Amino acid sequence: MRWLSSFLLLVLLGVAQALSSSGRKLLVVLEEAAEKERFGGFFGDLEARGFHLTFESPKSTSLSLLKHGERAYDHLLLLPAKSKGLGPALTANQLLEFMKKEGNILLTLSGDHATPTAVQSLLLELDIHLPSDRTSLVVDHFNYDGESAKDKHDVLLVPYPKASRPDVKNYFSGEGVIAVPRAVGQTLGNESPLLAPILRAPSTAYSYNPKDEADIVEDPFAVGEQLNLVSTLQAHNSARLTILGSAEMLQDAWFEAMASLNGKAVKTANRDFVAKVSEWAFKETGVLRVGKMVHYLNEGTGKKSNSSAALPQNNPKIYRIKNDVSFQVPISEYSHTHWTPFTPPPSDSVQLEFSMLSPFHRLPLSPLSQTANSTLYGVSFKTPDQHGIFNFRINYRRPFLTNVEVKEQVTVRHFAHDEWPRSWQISGAWVWIAGIWVTVAGWVGFVAIWLYSSPAVGAAKKTQ
Amino acid sequence: MAGTEGDQFLKQATGRNTRGMLRVIILCLIAGAAVSSRLFSVIRFESIIHEFDPWFNFRATKYLVQNGFYSFWDWFDDRTWHPLGRVTGGTLYPGLMVTSGVIYHLLRFLALPVDIRNICVLLAPGFSGLTALATYLLTSEMVTSPSAGLLAAAFMGITPGYISRSVAGSYDNEAIAIFLLVFTFFLWIKAVKNGSVFWGALTALFYGYMVSAWGGYVFITNLLPLHAFVLICMGRYSPRLYVSYTSWYALGTLASMQIPFVGFLPIRSSEHMSALGVFGLLQVVGFVEFVRTQLPSKQFQTLLRALVLIIFLVSFGGLVILTLSGVIAPWTGRFYSLWDTGYAKIHIPIIASVSEHQPTAWPAFFFDLSMMIWLFPAGVYLCFRSLTDEQVFIVIYSVLASYFAGVMVRLMLTLTPIVCVASAIAFSQILDTYLDAEMPKLEMKENGTSEPAKVAATAILPDGLRSTRSPLIGVYSYASKLTVVGASAVYLMLFVLHCTWVTSNAYSSPSVVLASRLPDGSQHIIDDYREAYYWLRQNTPDNAKIMSWWDYGYQIGGMADRPTLVDNNTWNNTHIATVGKAMSSREEVSYPIMRQHEVDYVLVVFGGLLGYSGDDINKFLWMVRIAEGIWPDEVKERDFFTARGEYRVDDEATLTMKNSLMYKMSYYNYNALFPAGQAQDRVRGARLPAEGPQLSTIEEAFTSENWIIRIYKVKDLDNFGRDHQSAGAFDKGHKKKRASKRKGARVLRVE
Repeated sequence: MRWLSSFLLLVLLGVAQALSSSGRKLLVVLEEAAEKERFGGFFGDLEARGFHLTFESPKSTSLSLLKHGERAYDHLLLLPAKSKGLGPALTANQLLEFMKKEGNILLTLSGDHATPTAVQSLLLELDIHLPSDRTSLVVDHFNYDGESAKDKHDVLLVPYPKASRPDVKNYFSGEGVIAVPRAVGQTLGNESPLLAPILRAPSTAYSYNPKDEADIVEDPFAVGEQLNLVSTLQAHNSARLTILGSAEMLQDAWFEAMASLNGKAVKTANRDFVAKVSEWAFKETGVLRVGKMVHYLNEGTGKKSNSSAALPQNNPKIYRIKNDVSFQVPISEYSHTHWTPFTPPPSDSVQLEFSMLSPFHRLPLSPLSQTANSTLYGVSFKTPDQHGIFNFRINYRRPFLTNVEVKEQVTVRHFAHDEWPRSWQISGAWVWIAGIWVTVAGWVGFVAIWLYSSPAVGAAKKTQ
Repeated sequence: MAGTEGDQFLKQATGRNTRGMLRVIILCLIAGAAVSSRLFSVIRFESIIHEFDPWFNFRATKYLVQNGFYSFWDWFDDRTWHPLGRVTGGTLYPGLMVTSGVIYHLLRFLALPVDIRNICVLLAPGFSGLTALATYLLTSEMVTSPSAGLLAAAFMGITPGYISRSVAGSYDNEAIAIFLLVFTFFLWIKAVKNGSVFWGALTALFYGYMVSAWGGYVFITNLLPLHAFVLICMGRYSPRLYVSYTSWYALGTLASMQIPFVGFLPIRSSEHMSALGVFGLLQVVGFVEFVRTQLPSKQFQTLLRALVLIIFLVSFGGLVILTLSGVIAPWTGRFYSLWDTGYAKIHIPIIASVSEHQPTAWPAFFFDLSMMIWLFPAGVYLCFRSLTDEQVFIVIYSVLASYFAGVMVRLMLTLTPIVCVASAIAFSQILDTYLDAEMPKLEMKENGTSEPAKVAATAILPDGLRSTRSPLIGVYSYASKLTVVGASAVYLMLFVLHCTWVTSNAYSSPSVVLASRLPDGSQHIIDDYREAYYWLRQNTPDNAKIMSWWDYGYQIGGMADRPTLVDNNTWNNTHIATVGKAMSSREEVSYPIMRQHEVDYVLVVFGGLLGYSGDDINKFLWMVRIAEGIWPDEVKERDFFTARGEYRVDDEATLTMKNSLMYKMSYYNYNALFPAGQAQDRVRGARLPAEGPQLSTIEEAFTSENWIIRIYKVKDLDNFGRDHQSAGAFDKGHKKKRASKRKGARVLRVE
């Protein structure tokens, strides 16, 4: 009965949480309530996906990202504000603190307004750079919308992004063109592995300040694909910061607007693209979950199939050197509403490290079986000929996927005194063993001869 | 009436029994005195394990008692030397732990459940009583005078040289090893005297026990062959020597090879080669003796010469070849430092950094041995008068042990027994001479001429004087007897006073708990160590790794029960050097090292507030030296000295010093205790810089009451991939400045 009720509860929970893997409370920071109308379609989509939207003005005194040291919201959507500052509740430190508590932020910029200083210093701290003059826009003289930006060329029409590397999953693919009106381009630092671009500007785009009087642009902020229109940062704790270069993309006006690219009439696919970006930003896609790691001593083929957690020898704290060990771990990926089996891209694999100071083994995990929610990955190997304190460690960090870093410590001990082969099992030792027994036999024989062969005659002679 | 009764009481059969009874009572009293004088520390403080190494022995004993002998034998300790671990069962001398374990189980068998801690604390005093007994036996074998044995036992019982390592709570290998050392020597003397296989086998048995208990067994391994060798050289080869030595060597070597830590050392390492060599020599000598009885002397002479030459060449050449090819291990560093006291300082800083391995300062001899230091040569001299086989042993032992005690402080311990024996011989000689109450009888005058001394005296002296007509040779005046005996008694009293004073003042401090005197004279206990260790035990996860200098490894393992990176078993110099490097480098260098070794907490000892001089800043140069031995390019000792070659911590400290993790951890927030600019380090008597050090990669977690122990937590990686310094600066509100002008070529991002 109990299992039934808990099962029901689980099902209910599953239904109720058919949305982001990390919570539904979304705070939208919006300066004027009137602007809400312009983003009506986007907010409607979010609510349809199950988010609870709370609207606050940056100047509101009740606005606070953190409450009693914990975050008050799960996600934050920052829409551009006219004012230069964002108020005391949204300082760069507060935003970072929010992300340290695993809150996700979707940050929008706009060429119409100057970027607030809090956002600027936040981005600068994270090695994301904005143009120094606050009115710069991304301009492209080839991929512009002929309808709305015939002269200014500041509404870009770009195709859906491709995967940046073959071993990276693409969560933002689709058909059609995306309108990026009046975007603020960002460049990403080259050092941090946490940064990844979603949408890069076409190779003909460049950053241009419309207030610049000069005829030619000298030393633009950035050009071509170095300019990012949508870029991301995923912190070590997998909190996500998504920077949308153009807040206007979210507006209803651009959701399915008619545009013309190089004379051809096209329909923008902003609604779909923006949904994909916000899904990723609010952890509805690209979230990995690692189940319970199971490792056990692999003693012959008989026990191999018996890998369920019911086996009492599972996850022993200690192994011996040169033991055969099997390791298994289920990995799931969250997809919109539920957990699905995770499969890495074809040219990639999840790897297991067996490491002490440095990895002694680094083995690709191969899928063993699949359940509705997870893929069971596993690998078998022999512990190295080195005793010490080792870690089973999976360190899987890929752009757009939450970081997987799990480890479990085990001890690898030396051979115990009774685990070595016995001397007679070593053929090389037979010589020595024979030597021992020959000596023993010889001594016994000598003693026997000495005792039972008394000198027959001449006992008197020897006394001299 | 009473006098005659007393006479009867002390004569003939009853007399012997009475004397035996008295001797037993005296020995029991000596043992009682030996035990009780070692209890100062328990009475002053509490029943606690002392110092550093005993904490490991205690922990190992607990493991043995809990898990049984075989899992102790195969013990892989994953809570020390993280992440290497230590094959503890195979790298320790198990004798001490097994002894306590046996006592523990024996007492439980007798329905006396005693806590293992109390057994460990009281093991050393208990064995000191046995040592006194063994010294009595050994001395009694040396001389006929029964008083010498009792005196030696008494000396051994209370001499500070031995007490220093055997007070209650000093649960170290030496606690039982000295007893075994003396007892093995007794058995050896017995074996040599009787030429019996039985005593030789007993010697081997106790030698095996000694090997299982202490690395100092090498002393026996070399002393017994040396004794045999000297006897052969003196032309005193006898079948007795042959039987006793060969039975000891064969059985003893087999016994010693049963200890995993020793293993094949007895046939491979150079330290054991003398025993093997003498064994071979004895065979040769025995063979030659046999041949001598069979051959005419002329042929024998030629044969002997040829034999000696061939054997010498073959064995020497073999030794050289085996050493060069690496079959026989070359001499170890500890061994070299026995001959050249400067060797370790140059080549192996890790050995030199241990205070026990320093050469002995000469006052230490007086401190530890008191009046015995001048009785000792007299005793050795007395041995030369008859110089029997066993007295040769005393002479060799004293010469060797005196040298080694001068080289290394801890070897004072091996010197002490022979000093006790020799000075007891000398002292009993004095007492026997002067306590003799008998007056010369008148008859002696008449037949006195037969004595050579008197003949000589009468020859020289004129016959005219009455006093010279029949001289009495000897000390017969009560006055002189009283003077000498009285003086001796005073010396003995002073000796007892000195021993008690030294024991109570110098050797009874647990060093885990410090005691100081308040201005009003009352005792004040400084318990920072335990405070900090219990903090760790209660506030950190069970497998939080603690990094500290190796001195505190055993204590952290024992008291805090947390894994450590390095400890007092300094088997891996590189690992210690790694910790030394982490301590002596900048934070940016140390942090990756600590991350790699999964360090969670760092523990430092800081005595600046209290004036506790044994702190980490004073040990810091050793860390630097040991780290420099492995990374000479990255850590340089010179950088820690000022231009004028001074080791300073104040304003003039070098930048390397001020930036080192150890300096920062020691003085972090120390300024806050003082008015601005007046922070004072009471150990080094230095005024510290007005601005204290800043930490970014670690944060303070705990500081004990008197600031002796400070514990820092290693921060996790910054969540946003920044380095800790800029993250800290950002949190403080220093916003990053936008690079106004790019320098050089633009760096493009490559996906």
